[in-house]
Parts: sequence; C-alpha cells; structure tokens
Amino acid sequence: MTATTTATGPGAGRPDADGDRVVVVRDLVKRYGADEAVRGVTFDVRRGELFGLVGTNGAGKTTTVEILQGLRRPSGGHVRVLGLDPAAQGDRLRQRIGAQLQDAALPDRLRVGEALRLFASLHPSPRPIGELADEWDLGRLLRRPFAGLSGGERQRLFVALALVSRPEVVFLDELTQNLDPVGRRRTWDVVRRVRDAGTTVVLVTHDVEEAERLCDRIVVMHCGRVVADGTPASIVESLGGEATVRFTDGELDVRPLRDVPGVRAVHRHGPEVHVTGTGAVLAHVGAHLVAAGRPAADLRIERPTLEDRFVALTQEA
Amino acid sequence: MTTTTNLDLPAGAAAPGRGLRTAARITATELRLFLREPGALVGLVAFPAVTVLVLAGVFGSSPEPEFAGVRPSEHYVVGYVGVVLAHIGLVALPVHVASRRELGVVRRYRASGVGAGAMLASHAAIGIVLGIAAGAIVLVAGGTVYDVSVPDDPAAVVAWFGAGLVCFVALGIALGTLMPGSRAANAVGNLLFVPMFLLGGGGPPREVMTGPMQAISDVLPLSHVIGGLRMSWLGATDDPQALWWTMLVTAIAVALALRSAHRHVG
Repeated sequence: MTATTTATGPGAGRPDADGDRVVVVRDLVKRYGADEAVRGVTFDVRRGELFGLVGTNGAGKTTTVEILQGLRRPSGGHVRVLGLDPAAQGDRLRQRIGAQLQDAALPDRLRVGEALRLFASLHPSPRPIGELADEWDLGRLLRRPFAGLSGGERQRLFVALALVSRPEVVFLDELTQNLDPVGRRRTWDVVRRVRDAGTTVVLVTHDVEEAERLCDRIVVMHCGRVVADGTPASIVESLGGEATVRFTDGELDVRPLRDVPGVRAVHRHGPEVHVTGTGAVLAHVGAHLVAAGRPAADLRIERPTLEDRFVALTQEA
Repeated sequence: MTTTTNLDLPAGAAAPGRGLRTAARITATELRLFLREPGALVGLVAFPAVTVLVLAGVFGSSPEPEFAGVRPSEHYVVGYVGVVLAHIGLVALPVHVASRRELGVVRRYRASGVGAGAMLASHAAIGIVLGIAAGAIVLVAGGTVYDVSVPDDPAAVVAWFGAGLVCFVALGIALGTLMPGSRAANAVGNLLFVPMFLLGGGGPPREVMTGPMQAISDVLPLSHVIGGLRMSWLGATDDPQALWWTMLVTAIAVALALRSAHRHVG
C-alpha cells in the first residue's frame, strides 16, 4: 500500500509547472537488455527537502539517481531536475548539483588538499576549502594521498567534493557506508545542516534507520518499482497504526481486557500479556490494571518502526 | 502526461573556454601525479634511454649498407624517437585512460560537470606532453653519446614528429576508451607494440627482413613515422614514409575514440 502518492497530486499533469519541485520523475524506465532495472518509477522532490530513496540492494535506487544526474540514459519516461533534462542538458545540470557517488574513486596519489582544490577550481564560486575541510574533519588529512585514506575518510572527502560547488541539489548515495556509529551520527548532523542551509538533499540508502532519522519524506523502491511514498511517520502509519502493550502478570484474568477501549486482541505468553490495539490503548490498559488493583511495573508500549513497514513492503512486493 | 525521453544523449558540450580550462587543470594535476609514480618515471625515462644506448652501440658508428648507408647509431637514435611515441600511444596512454575509467575517477570528474570533450582533451594533452618529453630524452641521451648529426630538414623532422605524436596519442585514447579495463589495455597494447617495435623500425633494418616481414612492416604506422623521421633527419632510409597512411590511421583512431567517448565518460 502506498501511504501518500505525490505523483497524483495537483499539478501532476504539468510536472514542470511547479517551481517548488526540483526533481520530477514520471514513469521512468531503465532497461539493460532484457532486464528492467527501473519499472515506471514516479516521484517528486521539493525544494529544501531532505528526501530519501530507500530500498534493498538491487532495488534500482542508484540507477534512478544516476539517471537524475545525467550519468545514465533512461529507456523511457520523463525526468526533470531543476527544470533541466539530465539526458540532454547534463553538463549544465551538473554545474548546479552535487553528487557523492557509490562507485567512484580518485587517483591513488592525489592528496586530499589537491582534490579539494582541483574540484573547487571546476566551479565558478566554490566554497572555501578550509571551511569544507573543517566541516568534514579533513583538515589533518590535507596532505594524505587518497590511497592512504580509510573508508570513512574517503566517504567524508567525497561528500565534501559533492558540496564544494554550493549545489542547489545534492545526491548522496549510501552516504554512511564504511562509517562507524560515531561518524554516522556526526554525518547525519552535518547533512541536516546542509538541508537547513537551503540545499535540497536526495539521500539514497538501504539503511532504514538512517532514512527514518534524517528524511522529511521517503520513497521506498523494491524490484525497480515505487512501493511507498510519504513521510516516514505516514508510511509507518499505513500499517494501521497498531501498537502492542506488554506487561507481566501471571495471575491476571485477561478476558476483561478485550472490552477496554482501543483493544483489538489480547494474548498471553506465560506470565507475559500482549495487548494489541490503536489510539490511546496504553492509557486505557494502564487505567484498567490500576482499577483492577493490579498495576504492572513493567507496562510498556511497542510501536511498529519504519523498518517493520519496510520489511513488510518488500515482502508484499 | 508522459513523454518518452530522447535517447540521443549528447556529451553536453560546455562552453569551449571553460572546457579547455577544465582540461588544463586536470592535465596539470595528472602530470603532477605522474611524477610521483616511480614505475611510470622508469618507463618514460630509463627504458627508452637505456635501450637506445644499447642498440645504437651494438651496431657501431660506421655507415653500413644494411642501414641505407647511414651510421647504425644514428639510425637507431632517430628511430627510437618514433618507438617511444608508439610505446606511449599503445601501452602507457591506454592503460592510463582505461584505469581512470575502471577506478571510477572519470565518473567522479563527470559528476562534477567535466564534459566528455574536456576529459578527452586532458587525456590527449597528457599523451602529448609525455611524448615530447620521451622523444627529448631519447635524443639527448642518444645524441650525446653517439654524436648524432644535425637534421637535414628540421621542418620535416618536426612535421613527422608531430604526425607521429598525433597518430599514436589518438591510437592510445581509442584503445583506452575501447578496452574494458587497464589489464586488457595493457595486454592488447603490448600485443600491438611488440611486433610494431620489432618490424616497424625499432628492430632489425628493413634490408635484412624477409618478404612477409617487409609486407607487415609496410602497413604499420610506426614504420612510416620512423621512415619519415629518418629520411628528414639523416637523408636516407629504406623504411616506408607515406604521410597519407599515417594520417589515415590517425583519422580512424580519432573516429574510434569519439565513438567510444560516451561509454568512457558515462
């Protein structure tokens, strides 16, 4: 089920008319011989948004964003980025966007400082190198050759190169792979700052937690198709908004719980009781237990996560 | 409304001035990196210098009939200017071009708005600079040791050197863009270079080759480049020297390189 489908909203028939939409994709298809990697994908990205393209490996995410950057030719469909056709106006477009690619490298002996200076020199008004180096913790690495960088250091360098041109839209593909948990959280903070500074961010990831924590809106892709489009909360909500209240009481008669407002089902697993329901089910169950003279010390609620929904969506598809 | 995207994807030519500046910056960076590669430096400087010194020394410095009546040392020193152009064009440049694509460096440049034209121009500039440097090293090393005479026709020497340089740089870019990776480029490049070196003017003189060897030699562009250099420098050679053939090979190489450029940068 699709939580929200922006493609069918107002203006869908005139995809370039709305200046608020910096990326417009309609019925995008990409074939490699007989294989169809992208099968009629449709979505929009709005200006200033931190947008996530989420999916399992091989879902077609990277192919899609490479088409958006003009690095691959589409087999069919309609694509506009900043009002430009990436296939026909790729070089003009790439002056206005930034990209951190999943499969890219630099010459082994190129030093970090040289890379920053070289890529800055390719743009008319680049960001100051020192500022970027500080932002991405590259200051102490400026004289280190690319071959001597760790996976995380390379990743930080690539993101810095993606941002050196002051892009209007930046594409970040598997941004935090190779980063340790501390580096990952630090990177998330900087990406939020990039968005807060006005840059539209398109984040491509298979990491659902990353998408849930970072993105304003996501599209979930599976086997080349869009299977969900909306905010992380709305996609989770599309499960039906059910939550499970758990507590331990081996002697409680659980049958009256079925009549508590919001409760849909009650199950006992030994001394543990699971109550499934919607709305303020936690409050109602807690009130019932207090009224019954059996308040539970370990009363807690578990809500479905985006990962639960993601797994369900990819299995359904 | 759904429309179908036009699949005739152009490289998206950027403004010529910006493209040239971009190519110049990438070339300068790549040449700086080249100087940090010990193996590449040995290939460019030591190999041609040592080889020409050994070969030119083996056959002596007295005019010989097998060498069209010129001194063998001069025959080889002048001929090796062409040999190093062939080595750069058939081995060094294809490996460089293919490895840059293979590693994702070309994609990284492309994602930053570097157009296909700037990328190819940078590859060509690297080949030209290396070719001039290698040719100069051969002349300085060989000329100093074997006292090579001044050219008979300096303008023709420059013209033949330029023709050979353009021809082999074009072949190098064509091979590099066509080959799937650096290993294939290295294998195919050496497969082409070794017979071209042996039968195209770097090995035995044409006079002592068998008929089939001479027939093969006649179609190798290196034979004509070296023949042109020897004739314009030394005033005598048995090697073929058809400029039109060299230009035809160049034109084919340029066409192949342009045809495979999209695959290279895409």
